[in-house]
Parts: sequence; C-alpha cells; structure tokens
Amino acid sequence: MKRMVSVLVLLIFAAACVFGAGQREADPDTLRVGMVTDAGTIDDKSFNQGTWEGIRQAQQDLGVQTRYLRPSGETEADYVAEIVNLYDAGYRFVVTPGFKFETAIYIIQQRYDDLKVVLLDGEPRSQDYESHVGPNTVAIYYAEHESGFLAGLATALQLKSGAVGFIGGMEIPPVQKFNWGFQQGVDYANSNHGTNVTVSANNVIYQGSFTDVPAGQQIAATMYDRGVKAIFAAAGGVGIGAINEAKSRAASGEEVWIVGVDVDQYEEGVYADGKSIILTSAMKEIGNSAYAMIEAELNGEFPGGSILTFDATNDGIGIPAENPNLSADVERVVFEVLEKMKTGEVAVQDSSAGLIP
Amino acid sequence: MEYVVEMLNIRKEFPGVVANDDITLQIRPMEIHALLGENGAGKSTIMSILFGMYHADRGEIRVRNKKVTISNPNDATDLGIGMVHQHFKLVENFTVTENIILGLEGSQVLNRKRAAERIQALSDQYSLKIDPYARIDEISVGMQQRVEILKMLYRNADVLIFDEPTGVLTPQEVHELMQIMKDLIKEGKSIILITHKLKEIKEAADRCSVIRRGKLVGVVDVKDTTEKQMAAMMVGREVSFKVEKEPRTAGEIVLDIQQLNVQNARKYRSVKEFSLQVRAGEIVGLAGVDGNGQKELVEAITGLCTIESGHILINGKDISSLSVRRRNETGLAHIPEDRHKHGLIMDYTVAENMVLKTYYHPPYSNYGVLNEKAIAQHAAKLIELFDVRSGRGAFTPAGKLSGGNQQKAIVGREIDMDPDILLAVQPTRGLDVGAIEYIHKRLVEQRDKGKAVLMISLELDEIFNLADRIAVISNGELIDVVDTSETNEEEVGLMMTGYKRGTA
Amino acid sequence: MKRIPDALLMAMAAVLLGLIAGALLMLAIGSNPFEGYYYLFRGGLMNMQRVGNTIALSTTLILTGLSVAFAFRTGLFNIGAAGQMLIGGLCATTVGLLVPLPRPILLVVMVLAAMLGGALWGSVPGLLKAKFNVHEVVATIMMNWIAYWVVYYFVPAYLKGQFLETESRVLPAASSLRTPWLTDLFNGAYLNMGLFIAIAMIIIIRFLLNRTTFGYELKAVGSNRDAALFAGIQVNRSIILSMVIAGGLAGLAGASFYTGYSANIQIGVLPIQGFDGIAVALLGANNPLGVLGAALFFGLLHAGKGFMNAMTGIPPEISDTIIATIIYFTATSLLIGRALDYVVRRKKKGGK
Repeated sequence: MKRMVSVLVLLIFAAACVFGAGQREADPDTLRVGMVTDAGTIDDKSFNQGTWEGIRQAQQDLGVQTRYLRPSGETEADYVAEIVNLYDAGYRFVVTPGFKFETAIYIIQQRYDDLKVVLLDGEPRSQDYESHVGPNTVAIYYAEHESGFLAGLATALQLKSGAVGFIGGMEIPPVQKFNWGFQQGVDYANSNHGTNVTVSANNVIYQGSFTDVPAGQQIAATMYDRGVKAIFAAAGGVGIGAINEAKSRAASGEEVWIVGVDVDQYEEGVYADGKSIILTSAMKEIGNSAYAMIEAELNGEFPGGSILTFDATNDGIGIPAENPNLSADVERVVFEVLEKMKTGEVAVQDSSAGLIP
Repeated sequence: MEYVVEMLNIRKEFPGVVANDDITLQIRPMEIHALLGENGAGKSTIMSILFGMYHADRGEIRVRNKKVTISNPNDATDLGIGMVHQHFKLVENFTVTENIILGLEGSQVLNRKRAAERIQALSDQYSLKIDPYARIDEISVGMQQRVEILKMLYRNADVLIFDEPTGVLTPQEVHELMQIMKDLIKEGKSIILITHKLKEIKEAADRCSVIRRGKLVGVVDVKDTTEKQMAAMMVGREVSFKVEKEPRTAGEIVLDIQQLNVQNARKYRSVKEFSLQVRAGEIVGLAGVDGNGQKELVEAITGLCTIESGHILINGKDISSLSVRRRNETGLAHIPEDRHKHGLIMDYTVAENMVLKTYYHPPYSNYGVLNEKAIAQHAAKLIELFDVRSGRGAFTPAGKLSGGNQQKAIVGREIDMDPDILLAVQPTRGLDVGAIEYIHKRLVEQRDKGKAVLMISLELDEIFNLADRIAVISNGELIDVVDTSETNEEEVGLMMTGYKRGTA
Repeated sequence: MKRIPDALLMAMAAVLLGLIAGALLMLAIGSNPFEGYYYLFRGGLMNMQRVGNTIALSTTLILTGLSVAFAFRTGLFNIGAAGQMLIGGLCATTVGLLVPLPRPILLVVMVLAAMLGGALWGSVPGLLKAKFNVHEVVATIMMNWIAYWVVYYFVPAYLKGQFLETESRVLPAASSLRTPWLTDLFNGAYLNMGLFIAIAMIIIIRFLLNRTTFGYELKAVGSNRDAALFAGIQVNRSIILSMVIAGGLAGLAGASFYTGYSANIQIGVLPIQGFDGIAVALLGANNPLGVLGAALFFGLLHAGKGFMNAMTGIPPEISDTIIATIIYFTATSLLIGRALDYVVRRKKKGGK
C-alpha cells in the first residue's frame, strides 16, 4: 500500500513536469474578462450560456482572455468569493448574469476600485435594497416586455387561432414583463392582423422557482390537455420541463409548441430529424450586451456608473434571426413591427394594466 | 489401507497467530476418532483445512493413501468427506428430501420421488427413522441433525466430520447419536468427532487426538485413558471436575416466581403457569432442552420483556413491573447467556465494562460526570480478584479478551454487585475446562456466602455438579423440582422431554 | 489512548489517497496537479480574508459533522442534518426578522431558536425509531423533505422580501451573527460568531461523550444496544435524546450559515453542508476533534477551489468533481479500511 502510494506520487510528479512545461504564461497586456455563473450550469441554454457566448465572441474578435467560475452556493458570500478569486487572479473585468448578484456587486464595487463590473438584469443594491451603481459598474436591464411582445406577435400570427399560455418562474419583474409583453403581442396580432388567439387567466402560471423541472413538465401537460397550442415558458429549469413535455408530445404526433426565452432555444427543442418544438424565442441579446461592454472597455469608453437599458432601439432584444418554424410572412411582419418599435410607432407598456397579471 | 485420511505436518498461520503448528492427524478406517481441544486450540482450523475452506501453509493431506489437494468443500465432497456442522445448514420450510438434494438438483431433472426413495433406503440402513417428506420445521432438532447426516450419506461420504454435535441435543438424543455413530462405522464409515466433552469421547470414540494451542499433544486409545488424563492433556495441568461443595441448609426464599405466564415475540405463550422458589444459600439448576422457554423466563425475571400474568418477587418485593435497573438495584444480578451480545460492550475497555451497571453511582460518577480514576481502581480490583487476564489490563477493549476472560469479567462484575439472587444463564458456554472450573467455584462461593443462585444450563453435567436442587422446564412448563442427590441424569433427561416423575 | 492515533493515521491516508485521485483527474484533463493544489491551498489561505472565509465555510461543517458524528456514536445514522440545519436556519431567521429585541439578547434567542428547531426536527426520527423501530435513515430523509417544503411555504408567506419570492428578507446587521470586529479583522470575510458556537460545541460534545454518564450511556447504546438494555440503560430514551442533540447541533449549523455566512434563507435548496457533514464525521472518525480537523480540511477545499479555477485551466465542473472525488475517496477508503480490519478479525476468529 505504502509503495503503491509513493509510486503514484512519483508518477504524478513526473507527469506534472511534462504537462507543466506546456503551460504558457498569460500576456499581461491583454484584458482578462471573467464571468461568475448564476445557480445554473454554464451550458444552461439560458442566461449563463448567453453571457458566456458573448464573452467568447469577444475573445475571438477582440483578443481578450476569458474565464468563468462557478460559485459553490447561492449566497452573497459565495458570489463575492468567486469575484474575489477572479480579481486575485488578475482579472479586472467581470460580467455577472442575473439579479442575484446585486448585493455581492454592491460590496465588490466598493472594495475594488480598479475592477470593472457588468451586472446583467440587475443593479447593485445594499442589503437594505438601496441602489447604488459605482463608478466602475454598469448595470444593464432589458426591455423584456418588448421581447415578449415580438414573441407573442409571432406566435399569434403563426397559429392564427386557438389558445396559448404562459409559464413563469418566480414572479419577479423581468419575468412579469415577458408575460405582459407577450399578451400585448397577441392582442396586437388579433386586432391588426385578423388572428383569433386567446390567453386565458388559468393559462398564465408562475411556478415559483427556476429549478423545478418536473413541475414545469406537469404544468405544461395540464395546459396542453386544456387545448393550449403554444406555451411561452420564461422559467429557467421549469421551462426545460415544459420543453421536455412538448418534445414527448410532438414525438407522438401532437402539434404543440413552446416559445423560448432569453436566448434562442431552438436547439433545446429538437426532438426528431432536426425538428424542434420551439416556435420562436423571446430573446434578450445578453451576449451582445456583454460583448458591447467589453468592446467599450477596450476603446476606453466603459460607461461606468450608469444603468443601461437594452431594448428595440439598440438591438438589445428581439426574436432569433432564423425561425425555421415560422413562415416567411410571419417573420416579415414581426421584423416590420420591430422597426415600428424602434421608431416609437408601436409602444409596449411594461405594466400589467389591462392584462392578466 | 492403514489410514483413510492423513493430515501430515499441517501448519496454518493467521496474522499474529499460529493456529496449527505441525499437526498430524491420522484416521483409521471404521474408527471414531475424537479431536479434543479447548476453544481456540485449533480444532476448527484443521477441520476447515480438511474441508477445503482454508489452505494449509505447509504439510500434506492424503486420502486413501493418495496425496490430494482440497481447495474447496466440493473437492472434499468428491473425496467422500462430509461434515455435520455445529449449526445446521437446512432450509426450514423445505422437506427433508428437498434439503438433502439441494445443490445436486442442477445436473439432472429434479426427481423428488427417486431421491426420496433413496433417502428412505439410507434411513432404514442406518436406522435413522427419517421421513423423507417431513418438513424441517416440523421435526425435532435431533431429527434435523440426522438430516444433516443423511445429506452426507446421500453424497456417498465415508469420512464424516461431526463438529460439536451434542450441544443442541437432549441426553437421550445424545445417547441415540452415539449409537448412530457406532452403526455408521459398522457399515464401513469413519468418523471424526470434534468436541470438548470428555464424557462423549469416553462413550463413543476409539482413539483421541488432543490439541493444545495449535500443537498436537498426543494421540491416545480412549479405552486405556481416563477422562482426567485427557483433560490434563487438553488443559496442560491437572483439573478437578467435581466441585467441592459442603452440604448446606437453604434459608429464606429470595426469588419467588408465582404462576408466571410470558408470551414471546410471536405472541406464543412460551412460559406457562411457571412457579419456582430459590432460597438463600442454594443453587437451583434449571435443566431443559434449548428453546423450551428458558430465554423468555430469564427475560421476564430480568425485566427485558413484559409478563402476561403472574408475579416475580425478590425478598418478598414484587419486581414484576420494575425497570431493568430497579430490579438490579433490588438485588438481582444476571450473567447473560450470550456474553458478546448481552454481557459486554466490546468497544468499551474492561474498566468501562466493569461499571456497566453501576456507573451512575458515586464514586464512579458525581453529578453525571464520570470519575475515571475511581472506575480504573475498581477495575483493577476486580481484575485482580477474578483473575481477568488481558494485554493492557483495565484499558484493554473487552473485545480483545479471550472468551474465558470475558466471562470472568462478567462474573466478577455481577458478583461484585453483591446480589441477593444471581441469575446465571449458561455461565460456562463455550469455555475451556480451566475457565469452567473457575467460574463454578465462584458460583458455589456465592451459595456458601448465603446468596441464592438460579443457574440455567443446557449441560446436565454442570447442573448435577453445582445444583442443590434441579428444576426441569419443558415446553414452558415446570415439570418438577427435585433434589440433586435424589435423582440421576436419566431421570432428569426424561423429564426434559416432558415426562413427570413416576408417570413414565 | 492508542485508538485515536490509529484513526488519525487512517484519515490522513484517506486524505492522501483522495488527493492523489484528484491529481490523477487533473492529469487526465491535461492540468498540472501541483499547480492545481498549489492554487487550491493558496485560494483558501493566502490572506486574512481567505483564511476567514475558509473558517466560515468550516464552521457550518463542524456543526453538521458533529451532528452526524454524535448520532453515530449512539449507533444512529443521521442523514437528516440538512433538514435540521434548514429548520434551524428558518427559526433563527424568523426570530431575527420578526422579534424586536436588543442585539445581544436577540442573538441568543436566535441561536436558541435554531437549536430548538433542529432538535425538534431530530426528535421525530428519534421517537419513531424508539417507539416504532422505524429506521432512522428513512425517517431523517423524509424529514429533510418536510423541512424543504416547510421553508418553501413559510418563507414566501411570512418572511418575503420586497421583490424576491424565493428568499427571505435580508437580516438587518443587528440580527446577524457577523460582527464588525471579526469582519474587519479578516478583511470582510464571512467569518462570524458561529465559529465560537462551533468551538464551544466541540468542547461540550467531547466532554459529554467522554466524561459524563450520559455519554457513557449513549456510546453503550451505540456499540451494543442489547448489552446496554441488559445493563438497565434506557435505550429508547438514549436514542431519542441522541437524535434531539444531533438535531440541535445541525440546527446551530443552520444559525451559523443562514444568519452568519448568509444573511437570508432561500427556498428550494437543501443545504449541501448537511450532507457534507456525513463525510466530515466519517473522516473525523466520529470524534469531535477529528470532526474539527476534517471540517477545516473540507472548508479549505471549498474555499480554495475557485481560486484554483481562476488561476489554472481547470474548469469549475472538474474542480467540483475533484472535491467530490476526495470526499468520496476519504469516505470509502475509511470504509475499506474498516472492511479489511473486519476480514482480518474474522480470519483470526477462525482459529478457534
């Protein structure tokens, strides 16, 4: 036993020397961009992945160094610890996806004045919920209602008639805005394009978490059984459950759809022969905004201290450029309306007035 | 052919122990060859080697003058060697036939009828009186043992190993077993009888190999050797069997059991209307075949189970609803049957075990805090007094003691409590002659000090040796209480099967 | 006595084997294990803040480890430390948020509430075991999920913050176990007064187990229930009390975690520390001092892995796997050691 251990140690030592020789030193001049993931994994086909893809794109185009870390828990302490890890490793630019980082960033921005922080979908807040965006921090919000509007519009146009539904994760503003925008998009199609698509109150459900996959599956099944044709799932892992349900139904010949959220979820919905149950996705161009901030930093134009909103006017939201499940006509109408949103001709409200909350 | 089985110069070592050191065993055809030794002497090891469960480090095995390698029990079976294990290996809800052909059924289409016929024939040939269609759980322990024997015969074994075969039998059954063994050798079989009971060797065996501490001490012809001589060979010194005991008149009633009924875990009434008195200054021995209610009776007296009805009094005080601890404090001490399971905490040191029933009293603890010094001193005293031998004295974990020393520790602890009534259940089970002698002396000493002792034993020898009066239990009922001086083993043996005096 | 160094040696061998297994894994993905471990340990120790966070992570593990170890000494396998910890955290958070008291008294009440909550959660499996012989493994796992759903219901209903449905309001500084002088001493680390509770518990439990009649009874029940019964020890009472105390310890872990390390309690999460406590107890040979050592070791691994990720090419998923490998290797190698020991003893017994 002892001998085995010493032989192993020796082997590792030898191998370490060989592999160690191959390690290259980091170039001190290039910008190092770090990311800390939210509770999910890096390939969550959602926020983490979208952010990371933008950062990777910047690596390719702009030559920055990148790395992501995954916190061991979901407390402020865990988030702070990972950002400090990046800082101590020489990273001076950190992107954090999601409102859960709000209090952690509040602490970090005070502690490290040479660290640039991009907080997506939230703003730094003290524990008393007071907002303060430090001079080296940018907080970015998205016009979810506009994104939801386009998705609702596309859905109604494509389906022409029948019931559609909404599954939300937690009942928090970004998710709510998706819901409200989606309903307005459906209404817009009904009144301007002659469709007859309905959203009834019992088909609008907030599950209460972003993680409960089986619950998502169950809620989706209930809705489909009620005759709902398409579900807009803005619910993280709960949405994955809904997608799973749709896939198994589609595989057995039922015609059911899911409208994806945050990123283009088309691939997630593939069930057979490249066919996907993702009708379209209500996207936030998370990657784009991360990329834009990195680019700004490199150009010396980092808008520290500000709260930015990415919406139709700056291409911060939209539906995917390609939607294999939408007809060309539908896509054309949606992009026309998007242009109208940019000019202000079409306005989307970000409140629940007159809608199913 | 001079020898049917020869094991020559066998050596077997386990880490730290030489279990067999150059042992030579030679078994003649058609003899009953006893293998005598104390516990741990190496009997089981050498038989396990012969049966293919261990491999000898050195030495050779010859069967019918041919050198053989036995690497598993199947090899042994193929060579015609069979073993009747101490604990039977039978499936309770199978029939005799099914049990016997178990493991052989794969080679051909299962033919129960033909198998049963052959079993019947074998049974008749050796007068075993076995019904091939009886279910195992319906026949007696003695009969079950015969099924084990038949199993060997069915597999054409002609060398049969009996491992401590009499422990579970009534005296009558023991006697019958001896007769069966004699019949077997008449039919050409050879038998190895592993035992530490000298009387049985004397009764049945032709020759006897004595092993002590892994070494062969000698091989003797049984008819030319006395029990005392064999015991001396086994233990390595002179031993006395007869406990010196002055006659004494018993005093007041200490333990008074009145019309006790107890149900066992399966709601079966296993102690029935049982009444028994034990007086100060006497040893009452409770004889009975294992499983006839002794366990439940003990549990009822000690408070480990609730009674159905009746009363148990100690010095006139009804204890039948008191907790175990309160009973202990009322003057009851208990040497349990299974010292591993019930008597000691093997992970605890000897010192900690010595206060297992008294730790909560000063001086061993004050206000809930243990006084380690007092506990150690107490242990040192008892170790000295009761001759408990161990590697590191009071600080040896109890699990590291030998069986005899464990038992001495328990006896020491219980006697030290100065009980009015000492309940000794199988106090010498599995112990060697030396330890038995010692513990018997201590029990008699208690009696001589005017304490009451109730001893429950499956060994009639032990009961006759120690008890002033003998109570016999059968099927949960008290059959009779007799003075030891006015009865004999045959009569008690008969009572153990349920016959009352004078009715047989 | 001699048994302790044996356990220590075994634990150290286990850790070494675990680290070697982790090293092999790093090699397998083409990373340099020396570099990896160098940064792993630096990440946990290179400055006061990091030391503070390492100890903060260890604090919770000490308490859950003690909980599991304590129950184990009475022969009970407490898989329910996670649920007991969660309930403890819920009780402490509830008191901290809803009860207006001056800080010193409030903190004491919070900690007591956590202990009582955990104790209550532990008592149920204890009672079920004692009265109906329901196996405590099943019962404690069930209780974990009951705790999970209780928090799931209770937090949104009574402790909800202004915006978030999924976690309670943030505790005001006055009701946090974090204290400025400790935080400042360790440069903003999450080290908190839970540490003192943990140290006190190590001492108390050690004393309880080794020096009191109560500990004597519990251990007797743990190593030989029948013999304890024969000796007149109240076995059922011991089982219940043992689970109550184990639950109380896990409840304290909840207080230190949810009102010290964290400032609020989230729904939908069973704290992983409750399960890590099993590994801590196992590596620590169910001995309070061993638990301390094991908890510090695991705390160091958890605290340092992020820095290792940041400095080397080892992705977080791999480093989680490495830590899991170390945990499970240490756990199983102790079991393997025990199994070997058992086999050796069996063989020896065969000589009789």
